[in-house]
Amino acid sequence: MKIFVLPVICVFPAMALSAAATAQSAPPGLAITIYNDDLALVQDSRRLDLPAGRSRQEFKDVSARIRPETVTLAAAGIGIVEQNFDYDLLSPDTMMEKAVGSDVTIVRINPATGVETREIATVLAVNGGVVLKIGDRIEVLRDDGLPVRVIFARVPENLRARPTLSVTVDAERAGPHSARLSYLTSGLGWKADYVALFDETAGAMDMQGWITLTNTSGTTFKAAQTLLVAGNPNGSNPNGNNGGRGAPRGLVAAGTQGNDREQLGDYYLYPLQERTTIADRQTKQVSFLDARGVQARKAYEYRVGWLATQTDPQSFATVIKFRNASAGGLGDQLPAGTVRVYARDARGQPQFIGENQIGHTPMGSDLAIRTGEAFDVKVKPVAEVREQMGKTRWRTTMSYTITNARAAPVTVDLAQTGLWGESKIVTESLISRRVDADTVEWRVPVPANGEVKVTATFETKY
Amino acid sequence: MRLLLAPALLASALLAAPSAAGTFVSPAPEAVSVSIYRPPGRSGGAIDLDDLQGFALISETRTITIPAGETVIRFEGVADGMISVSAVVAGLPAGVVEKNRDARLLSPAGLMAAYLGQQVTLVRTNTATGRETRVPAIIRSGPDGGAMLETAAGLEALRCSGLPERLVFPSLPAGLTAKPTLSVTARSDRPVAAKVTLSYLARGFDWAANYVAQVRPDGRGLDITAWLTLANGNGTGFPAAQAQVIAGRVEHDAEIADAVPDAGDFTASCWPWNAGTAIPLPAPPMLMREMMVAPAVAMMSDELSQIVVTGNKAVREDLGDLKLYRVPQATDVAARGQKQVLLMTQGAVPFTAIHRFEFTAGDAETDIQASLLLRLKNDAARGLGLPLPSGKVALFETVGGAPMLIGEDDVRDAAIGEEIEIRAGQSNAVRASTGEDADRAGLYHIRLTNARNVQVTAEVALFIDDNERLITTRPRIGKRDGTPTWTVTVPANSEIALDYRAKGRRQR
Repeated sequence: MKIFVLPVICVFPAMALSAAATAQSAPPGLAITIYNDDLALVQDSRRLDLPAGRSRQEFKDVSARIRPETVTLAAAGIGIVEQNFDYDLLSPDTMMEKAVGSDVTIVRINPATGVETREIATVLAVNGGVVLKIGDRIEVLRDDGLPVRVIFARVPENLRARPTLSVTVDAERAGPHSARLSYLTSGLGWKADYVALFDETAGAMDMQGWITLTNTSGTTFKAAQTLLVAGNPNGSNPNGNNGGRGAPRGLVAAGTQGNDREQLGDYYLYPLQERTTIADRQTKQVSFLDARGVQARKAYEYRVGWLATQTDPQSFATVIKFRNASAGGLGDQLPAGTVRVYARDARGQPQFIGENQIGHTPMGSDLAIRTGEAFDVKVKPVAEVREQMGKTRWRTTMSYTITNARAAPVTVDLAQTGLWGESKIVTESLISRRVDADTVEWRVPVPANGEVKVTATFETKY
Repeated sequence: MRLLLAPALLASALLAAPSAAGTFVSPAPEAVSVSIYRPPGRSGGAIDLDDLQGFALISETRTITIPAGETVIRFEGVADGMISVSAVVAGLPAGVVEKNRDARLLSPAGLMAAYLGQQVTLVRTNTATGRETRVPAIIRSGPDGGAMLETAAGLEALRCSGLPERLVFPSLPAGLTAKPTLSVTARSDRPVAAKVTLSYLARGFDWAANYVAQVRPDGRGLDITAWLTLANGNGTGFPAAQAQVIAGRVEHDAEIADAVPDAGDFTASCWPWNAGTAIPLPAPPMLMREMMVAPAVAMMSDELSQIVVTGNKAVREDLGDLKLYRVPQATDVAARGQKQVLLMTQGAVPFTAIHRFEFTAGDAETDIQASLLLRLKNDAARGLGLPLPSGKVALFETVGGAPMLIGEDDVRDAAIGEEIEIRAGQSNAVRASTGEDADRAGLYHIRLTNARNVQVTAEVALFIDDNERLITTRPRIGKRDGTPTWTVTVPANSEIALDYRAKGRRQR
């Protein structure tokens, strides 16, 4: 028994502790805890009618993608003798392999007359062909290329239609026992999907959040009490930020606020309010967030690479910026997922304007969702002059022609990157802000249907 | 609560749960709006009708009536390519408990899996006598790797007798659906009838803009006709739909859409050492791509120039930073079909024809053909002045009374006020050679020749290395986009020369 418990404790200390805490009060039925990265903890509380002494219990309705090494069966007054996970599956191939040495019935039908003949044969060997002993003849099955039916008497004991978990238990007394089977499985996962309706003129956004649960485990979990954990306990990350490094997309500044949402260690928990049936191959969505009038604004961003000259004007990215702080209308943690942004068209109908991913976002964070590119707001960067001023000194004059074909003035954020800490601005037509060693940024107001040219001369020493 | 532990009671409780919730099936939308988006990566290029990479936002109006209590509302007649996680149901007076997409499909494999361990009928026909025998059989193995059946005679594999064999299932198992199905569980304290809006993103759509530009006989302007081509690769059609296309780049990740795969195929097999006798079931019908109407867009542009415009012209509006083009009347967006509407027609748009060469200082090259460029300014003063979505341009010139294709190019999204450049191919008549002077080292000549009987404007860009500079140029060189560039006139049937001297800078 200990053998199976130990690895669970090593890998998932937090989970094992929570499991221990709820052992006594576990309600009957299924409880499922789902993590983000294709991992779930299934706890199946059920009544087992056991005879006294040793008996073998089969659990056929466990997840088809169970991780058998994580199985634990806990019950008062019983000891676990051994656990087996048998995945020798019943198929025509395995039937024939297991039939070596036993008798089968072979049925031949004369294709011309339709007359059926039956014979008893002993399967001698199954090695690249089936060798049969029929009476005193030795034959290879289907050597003549004609169809032959092979009828087996019974299913061999260890062949099963689906992988089966069995536990041999040793009960102190006969009768009903409350037991809890828990295991980890893949094939269950969740993420969040957000619907954001952005109103540019009001500077506000309505945002709904849905938890999206997917089940590809091959098993239907009926009436399960479901808990979703926003976190990745084994260190992998579906958002691509390796081992927690690198801010996930969308996050500008991580927040520091908290609310009364339940936590498990550093992870936030999203319990579903009602028991639910998670059918096989089902995608289930349950609402968890409905915020109205969240303050949001639109920004235009473009980053120019070092010495990048563009002969065609390039569109600024359209970015929707908002905070999930308690002030501002959206005070909640946002689990990782996709934000789909909509805006109303002239007829008032919501139209899709772009989507992007966010990572797990603590409350109070600044978020920026890049929805697409602006058709009418563009920049054409040109490296106008490169001059060598001394042995290791260069002067570069850049011009950035920003055009706005919209009927309203806009303010754009234009960044020049590639400064490497070695380049500084000598002259510029508009005051810039040094964001970091590598980047300067201009906030450029551009009039309606207008054009602004920003120029800057950089001096580089190396 | 403890009582629920008894297996029998538990089972009945579970059976009771779904029957407590009634089901309302909404078979089809009453009104539908389809907004088509291009894939973010594609701006110009033609659409591939066999593999439409774009997507659409579909908004449907449906009327539902639900009784008091919990009701499962099933939405049928949605696009096959529905990205169900994007589905939003608005206008439900009652609370939405959950939204589900079920993809356990009614298929040979799905039936086999659902009937595992249950009794079906095995029907066998003796081909010689024509006699049919029916025996009850229990399915003993899952759908992967062949079916084992248990009959009164014993166990045997399906389709190994050489006789036609089929399985007859007594009824449809619960939970299997013909197509992935979206349903919403709603709860209401009273019976209600409501108009709801179901909106969702769906795969398998695309659109393109195609411009046909005809050089006027006087050679001074272009007559431009542009068409929007909308394509729907779904098996679902949308009759009398409000249709829109959205221009501009939209972030969309097709990969992350729906993670749940469809059910696999089922193949009956005997055992592996009997090649030739395993009879596979016919594969389930696939999407018949051949059935698609596929008139190639590029091919059509020839005919398009002759099409009489009937006035179904797209109406434009701004949608945030994108452009929305609306088909003015309700239109049928047919299943696996494409349709075209007029984007714009504009006559006599002035353009500048440029013969362009690009050299690097110090090059020695002979007989280079000019690239012919047509430059247009997208403003109202010069006949355009409207946002032009990226697309393909076919350029025609009338030769001997018939239009001839002289070039084809992709143009990018052009906002009002932008310059548009159409590459019309290489010129045979305008050529250039360049090289160092025979006697004076460091002096370079570029010789431009014009064999046409009209004068042409040539643009010669001279790229130069960072550690070099031009000392003398004749005529004096200008600059375009940061690159030293001459813009010169080459008279009819004559040649001109450009000279320059370049020198390395102080060495570091």
